[in-house]
Amino acid sequence: MDVSSPPLASPSTSARARESSTTRVALVVLVTVAVACVALALGPGGLDWELIRALRVPRVLAAAGVGSLLALAGLALQVLLRNPLADPYVLGHSGGASVGALIALLAGGSLWLGAAGGALAAGIALLWLARPALAVSDDASPRLILLGAMLAALFGAVSTLLLALVPDERLRGAIFWLVGDLSGAPASLHDLAAALVFVAFLAWRGRSVDRLMLGADAAWLLGEPVRRLRLELLVAASLAVGLAVSTAGAIGFIGLVVAQGWRLSGVLRTRELALLSALSGAALLMAADLLARIVAAPLELPVGAVMALLGAPCFIVFLARGVR
Amino acid sequence: MTDAVTPLLETRALRLGAAERVLVQGLDWAVRRGERWCVIGRNGTGKSLLLRALAGLAVPERAGGIAWQGRLQQEWPVGAAAGVRALMPQQPQDRFALSVARLLALSEVVRGPAADPHAPRTLMADLDIEALADRRADRLSGGERQRVALAQCAIQGAALMLLDEPVSFQDPGHQQVVGRWLADRPATGAWIASAHDPGWIARVATHVLALFGDGEWRAGPVAEVLREDVLERTYGCRWRAVEGSWIAE
Repeated sequence: MDVSSPPLASPSTSARARESSTTRVALVVLVTVAVACVALALGPGGLDWELIRALRVPRVLAAAGVGSLLALAGLALQVLLRNPLADPYVLGHSGGASVGALIALLAGGSLWLGAAGGALAAGIALLWLARPALAVSDDASPRLILLGAMLAALFGAVSTLLLALVPDERLRGAIFWLVGDLSGAPASLHDLAAALVFVAFLAWRGRSVDRLMLGADAAWLLGEPVRRLRLELLVAASLAVGLAVSTAGAIGFIGLVVAQGWRLSGVLRTRELALLSALSGAALLMAADLLARIVAAPLELPVGAVMALLGAPCFIVFLARGVR
Repeated sequence: MTDAVTPLLETRALRLGAAERVLVQGLDWAVRRGERWCVIGRNGTGKSLLLRALAGLAVPERAGGIAWQGRLQQEWPVGAAAGVRALMPQQPQDRFALSVARLLALSEVVRGPAADPHAPRTLMADLDIEALADRRADRLSGGERQRVALAQCAIQGAALMLLDEPVSFQDPGHQQVVGRWLADRPATGAWIASAHDPGWIARVATHVLALFGDGEWRAGPVAEVLREDVLERTYGCRWRAVEGSWIAE
């Protein structure tokens, strides 16, 4: 059933395509490693090994893991909602995760499970609200983006209210839950490991996910189990957003900038897109966090605000160029 | 798959409706290998709805049975169903910037070891879309995109092709290109296409199903259905046969 090299392009063309894909991945690996090295080396205090080990390694690891997870979640949501502008922050998934995490914290439950549950609830709410439009034309884009933006606003308000009404010193501040922040991120490899699993899942399901991009009806006619596939994508994206939010708060626009950026430069196979998005999502957030640490040193800026400064204009440019 | 007698498609007392209107009623119909069917009817009489239902997609109101190769639709696993029927929709929804070659590669389902490795290239040449292989599907003209959709449907490899208006955007030359290709399909398969031009239909089809819009219908070989009285009832205007062509008045 699987077709590794369809004879539609001449053998030389497909060989060239494979070659350029390998080159591209290799290049992005190099760039990501370089960004990681620079992010480890730079910062207040300079090249002090103790400082690097105790402070910068955990933070760079967290940035890489969260960046990968958010890029992959964006990629999954874009296919799930058939909308190239989908992003977990823009569409309210991150906001839902923040609310879920805050409620879990106040109730004494697990932070990341609460966050994942919140993201899942936000995703289900969005799919349900957009259902009439999705069912009629399979093209709910403008309404979908507006619905998502309003869900995000709603969750932001709930987070703010929870923080104001329950000033608990265990809770991190409003900036963390509303725009995201990596200072004080715990040293852990969970996020990176989860990102690796997510890439493997998307690679395994690659051809089916590619077909889902043709539309739900078209994918079903080609023999894809569409409902199960959509459920898998929704759950995977929600778990990823939950993990990312519990590490770094609600950081936005990575999924949008990274996955859609690669699409616009011609990468359309889910397998390659997943690998490239995970790597460059990591690189992008490490770079943004480096900026956040050194621009106003010794003061630190919240990395979520830096990402929004980069990402919101990208969203506007995509929208103005006719992507919707 | 080798059973030559069982119809590729069979409907039993099929009833379809939309917005509280009955569009098709009591449809007992069979489509066998080697048959080429055209569905005719005025706008809004349920041609697209019928093709969707025959493909197994959801429609507003539906009763009665549809079987592919002697087995009811709902008994087919989703993966196996892709090998028995393919649908070309009227309006493909391109949301991502996929190339034509990529679209065709994703549409391949049935491709055993014995399959002809040059079949896709031959298909693209036959439908005059070879030059479009590297173009973005969402930037093609309506007619080009329609021929690509037809190629997607064909490359799926299903025995039964359901085609929703395969020539509505084609210029006269390409109407003949598509018509010749459709008339040349091997007798191991069958297709059902909605179309409007009786002259074109007479050249490419073997059978016609006319939907009258009130639930009534008429099905049979071209010579039995493409007649002045049936066409007049179908389209609500008078028709005249002139040298193998039909003219509406």
